[in-house]
Amino acid sequence: MSRRKTIRFGDYIQAMSIDSQKIPYQELMPEPLFDRHGNEHPQPVPKMKLGGGDILKILQPYLSTRFIDQARAVVPLAIYLALFQYLVLQTPVMDASIIAGGLFAVMIGLMMFMEGLKLGLMPFGEIIGNTLPRKLPLAGVLFIAFLLGIGVTFAEPAIGALQVAGSIVDPKQAPYLFTLLNDRSGATVLLVGLGVGLAAVLGTVRFLRGWSLKPMIFLSVVPTLILSVIAFMDPELTKIVGLAWDCGAVTTGPVTVPLVLALGIGVAAAAGKGADSSLSGFGIVTLASVFPILGVLILSFYTAYTVPPELIIEKAAEIKLAAQTATTQPQWYEVTPWTEVILGVRAIVPLVIFLAVVLLVILREKLKNAFITYYGIILAVVGMCIFNVGLTYGLAKLGDQSGGLIAGAFTSIDAITASPLYSMAVGVGIAALFAWVLGLSATLAEPALNALGMTVQNLTNGAFKKSMLMIAVAFGVATGIMLGVLKLIYGFHIMYILIPGYTLGLILTFLSTEEFVNVGWDSAGVTTGPVTVPLVLAMGLGFGNALGSTDGFGILAAASICPIVAVLTLGIYVQFKIKREERRVARELALEGETK
Amino acid sequence: MKRSFTTLTEATLITAVVQQGYGEIITDALLEVGIQGSTVHGAMGVGIRERLGALGVAVDAERDVVNVMVSSDEVDRVFERMFLAGKLDTPGMGFMYATPLMQAATYVPPSILSKYVGS
Repeated sequence: MSRRKTIRFGDYIQAMSIDSQKIPYQELMPEPLFDRHGNEHPQPVPKMKLGGGDILKILQPYLSTRFIDQARAVVPLAIYLALFQYLVLQTPVMDASIIAGGLFAVMIGLMMFMEGLKLGLMPFGEIIGNTLPRKLPLAGVLFIAFLLGIGVTFAEPAIGALQVAGSIVDPKQAPYLFTLLNDRSGATVLLVGLGVGLAAVLGTVRFLRGWSLKPMIFLSVVPTLILSVIAFMDPELTKIVGLAWDCGAVTTGPVTVPLVLALGIGVAAAAGKGADSSLSGFGIVTLASVFPILGVLILSFYTAYTVPPELIIEKAAEIKLAAQTATTQPQWYEVTPWTEVILGVRAIVPLVIFLAVVLLVILREKLKNAFITYYGIILAVVGMCIFNVGLTYGLAKLGDQSGGLIAGAFTSIDAITASPLYSMAVGVGIAALFAWVLGLSATLAEPALNALGMTVQNLTNGAFKKSMLMIAVAFGVATGIMLGVLKLIYGFHIMYILIPGYTLGLILTFLSTEEFVNVGWDSAGVTTGPVTVPLVLAMGLGFGNALGSTDGFGILAAASICPIVAVLTLGIYVQFKIKREERRVARELALEGETK
Repeated sequence: MKRSFTTLTEATLITAVVQQGYGEIITDALLEVGIQGSTVHGAMGVGIRERLGALGVAVDAERDVVNVMVSSDEVDRVFERMFLAGKLDTPGMGFMYATPLMQAATYVPPSILSKYVGS
């Protein structure tokens, strides 16, 4: 039975090439401490003393893995845009060093922000989610969920992109769009936040009661569509629709989704309803991307009702004039790094204070590892500030530039002297293909999509493969962005994409099973992250400006509906395949039974 | 049909407890040295953050636990490869140990089985 391999001693020595020593573990254990009665003392925790080399060894993998995560999303996109500009549009990237610096800031900022979110904010969310339902009645829990929804919206990094985008809008052409994004941007974000808060409340109640998502989709999407149609009929408000629908895609980012989910799942688990359905995490994202649309639409109606457009144009001119006279000596908080820093602090600090108040005053809980939490919060604030700087100088600038230049492929623009570079048909084709590839690569690089894919694969016992879902969503987003760009080129209204898209989506929802409805509607919101959103927003606005179109918004809205349709269609196909397989097996069994 | 099973002897279990994410690096290295399979599960570590102080934030408290069974003759070779692959010579990275196993059993293909057991 026994078998011994023979090896040469030389080979053995060679294989054991590293130095090895042996010491008994006894040597490393501290002596037990006794007091004078002979009882054992608790040991103090000794601090480790580390040399510089060891500190580096600890920090190097910590920093590099986190940086590479962000670089993987940003670098390929930047290279793609630069190469495209250089090879196809034959124009070098302007301000390349500033943009490169900005993109670097985006990566560093996101790296710090995500780590800070994980260490500083998520523990709050988890503790609150777990203990709040036990200490407060349901109404109180829902009220806090509502406030949390508002708080996370302000903390969402992509929200800053809306304000950056607002500075590009021309007040004379779209006064309401201008006012919603500039002097009333606070109100806009607040209404978006109210929408997210409402979604958090409804989503949590849905977890508790086990409601189906389908009627909620019908009840929220249909009124939103109707309101959009009403706005669409109005000559002034029609320019808002694109923005309103884009807001839905903007809100569901890396802060909102995990924090609101942690609370919702905690509530459901406390009620004993958490474990029975792996679907419990879904649905909130969908609602959180529909309600903000409703909120922005309502705000625009209110603004249109109370303020005439002439007043806004006057005011915009006033602001401009004031800015011009003030340029001699701008206040310190109006100079570049400080504006972004203030925005960053204003985004995170209220959320942290709110969470701390809930935790310390309402729950009277103590934080474990307080040092790490403080470190995480500081990291999140600093990261957000750096990200904001990078957003202005990297993503927004790059997107604006390539959006403006891509128009040169088929029409004459100032930046490219030889424009139009190609004939109309070829140029439009190039622009559409450019948008399509951009959407595809940006979506596939999004880490949230990978996670969603895994969940879906487990949920369907492998019938819906991870790769299949990722490709379906990426194709959807790519097609959506392409449609959005075509919309800008041919100047048709976003409603012509939204109405057929959502009608198809609703019909498919009616036909699909609950699982696929949950996954499909969530897929769109999950996949538009903090890199894609600002880039696509700025690209659309730059492109719209180059074409003289008033409304550069709507690309994200188109990119939200297409993956829903794609995933639902694929879901129905998968269901059909499973049913066919079941029928085949049943038939074979029946045949076997006959032959026996 | 009479069922039977074969007991494997002279086996050792090597367990490595490493920072989350390094489990995969170790299992990849294990496949390279010819190990058929290994098991990874998640765990939470306690102690290192407290001892490292401020630097503790750079160490992930979530851990991967890699379990692999090797023949007792191969323990030193595999142990060393795992140590190097997991960069266990870094503070806070983790630790590993080997435990002798009394007996083990799994599916052994008949072609291999027939070489050792007279039929």
